[in-house]
Amino acid sequence: MSLSLGTRGSAALLRRALPGGGFSGKARGKFQTDSTAWGILALSACGGPTELLNQSRSLLMREQLEDGRLCVDSTHPDSFWPTALAILAWQDSEPYREAQQRAIRFLLDTTGFHFPRESDGPSAHDSQLKGWPWVGETHSWVEPTATAITALRATGHGHHDRVQEAVRMVLDRQLPHGGWNYGNTLVFGKELHPMPESTGAGLAGLAGLVGRDVVLPSLSYLQDKVTRLRTPISLGWSLLGLAAWDLSPPNAEALAERCLANQGRYGEYETSALSLLILGALAADKNNHVPFLSISAHHDRMSSE
Amino acid sequence: MGLPPDHRNTNGLTRRDLLRAAAAGLVIGTGLVFVPKRYLRLPQQAQTFVAKVNDYQLDIAGTLLRGMMELGVNREEVQGKRILLKPNLVETASESPHINTHPLVLRGAIEAFLRLGAATVMVAEGPGHRRDTLAVYEESGLADVLTEDRIKFHDINYITGFELPNAGRQSTMKTLTFPALFQEVDWIVSVAKMKTHHWTGATLSMKNLFGVMPGRYYGWPKNVLHKVGIQNSILDINATLKPHFAIVDGIIGMEGDGPIMGQPKQVGVLVMGRNLPAVDATCCRIMGIDPYKVSYLERADNWLGPISDRSIEQRGETIASVQTNFELIDTIPAQQGIRLT
Repeated sequence: MSLSLGTRGSAALLRRALPGGGFSGKARGKFQTDSTAWGILALSACGGPTELLNQSRSLLMREQLEDGRLCVDSTHPDSFWPTALAILAWQDSEPYREAQQRAIRFLLDTTGFHFPRESDGPSAHDSQLKGWPWVGETHSWVEPTATAITALRATGHGHHDRVQEAVRMVLDRQLPHGGWNYGNTLVFGKELHPMPESTGAGLAGLAGLVGRDVVLPSLSYLQDKVTRLRTPISLGWSLLGLAAWDLSPPNAEALAERCLANQGRYGEYETSALSLLILGALAADKNNHVPFLSISAHHDRMSSE
Repeated sequence: MGLPPDHRNTNGLTRRDLLRAAAAGLVIGTGLVFVPKRYLRLPQQAQTFVAKVNDYQLDIAGTLLRGMMELGVNREEVQGKRILLKPNLVETASESPHINTHPLVLRGAIEAFLRLGAATVMVAEGPGHRRDTLAVYEESGLADVLTEDRIKFHDINYITGFELPNAGRQSTMKTLTFPALFQEVDWIVSVAKMKTHHWTGATLSMKNLFGVMPGRYYGWPKNVLHKVGIQNSILDINATLKPHFAIVDGIIGMEGDGPIMGQPKQVGVLVMGRNLPAVDATCCRIMGIDPYKVSYLERADNWLGPISDRSIEQRGETIASVQTNFELIDTIPAQQGIRLT
């Protein structure tokens, strides 16, 4: 990735940084947990200012509830999907180890709503396999599960029973012709459409935990799709998912540049989307180390367990 | 969020209403106490307008304007108002443009409201399937249209929300969280697609409002709403949000395994009205579906609006002149036995 794109991406993120730390969803907005976690991940990968990063990590800690979860806001305690992102944002930062451990414990102790699969039911997936939901007491879906797997793998829990079951769940939701969507495979006998952002998240989550052969159709789908993507969430997750399997399109930098420029068409990107784009662009360049993926960390820990 | 839609009570009783009243009286007279509230409701009335439009290249703005004027939506009422259009953007597939509200219907609606003197018109959507709203916005063709027309698009999946008490009380949800943006608009207009649906029978202007619930609070798909009951949630959202107007794109609809995997169905109509249950009931009749067999419509009847054909004053084309049966799939429970007979 060129310095200019990294620099411009970082500068755009810094404009969303709030006095005293934390990030808003958009410039001049208010603090948001998910934006802050994504902002930390992207800015730390770009070598952003340590003081801001630590202030932001501290603010995430302040937002953490007693049981370890982090929610989109205090009035919606069931919307705890930012918890996995916070675990990643606190990674390798000693002052936040206790907060990170509580968040990990929360994830390991939390499932969603699951029910026995009916042989003649409308949905084909195994509804008993537990991953993680976006919101408490709802079903497990692909992206929150993949993100939780990524966070738990990065923190050395890749072999935990919950992670192993979640890996089976994500594989069970892989579409027969490759790719993932939000998490339904066949409904009333028809195979649904794959989506690049879900596929990228699924691939990033499974890297290092399953063999390449089982995700080959999804890698093929995404390699075919990625050069046509113009929007940051799809492109960011796709570049991350491919990079997790040591793949990247030859024109990744140009794709990221075009996507960044598309803010003129779509308006200013939301912080999480911009962060995903920056992380994806960084990951596509093999010279960069993107802690977010943390596959090597997982391997290191696996070998020492 | 403005005033509730126009459901005026009336003294005109239909045969169905009289039967209901008689049944209620019989039950009360015999000392039995439980009568579902919906059987005791006073009948309501509404108007809908049906326009023939066989092609997206025709004068959609002019057609919508004519329909709106027929329904009493005039310059005096719209002047200076901030209008939010909520299309049906779900996901995209290159071979299936009929999944989503056609962008030229949105362009027509924008022009119609601006010609009536609206201060601003914006488009907002929070797709339930895709985390990447902008991808659906781009791939559906809407981005080209709104960029050219310089109309603002809002991704409401990520907007912070504000809570309202659940006015519908059909589900266990005590409150509903809507995008804060909705506090800054005067009219919310559901610009839906005419489709069959594999969970609800049909998806029209009322079901379209699932997309106003921000994904950051309700997830992708909006599984919170599924968990408490899709039909309950449709009623709760509509009762609480009180949308002001509906336009249904039935120029090319979707039949069979909607809302995603069904086949295109050329109908050649735009249906509109102030009252969403009435608009949806009219659409159902055009599709060859009995609105009383679509659970959320039957439950909305004479509460959120009328669905009886006797209670809906039909303007524009007659239903009979545009009616065309949509394919229903007999292995899909929500589509079983709903054919209009």
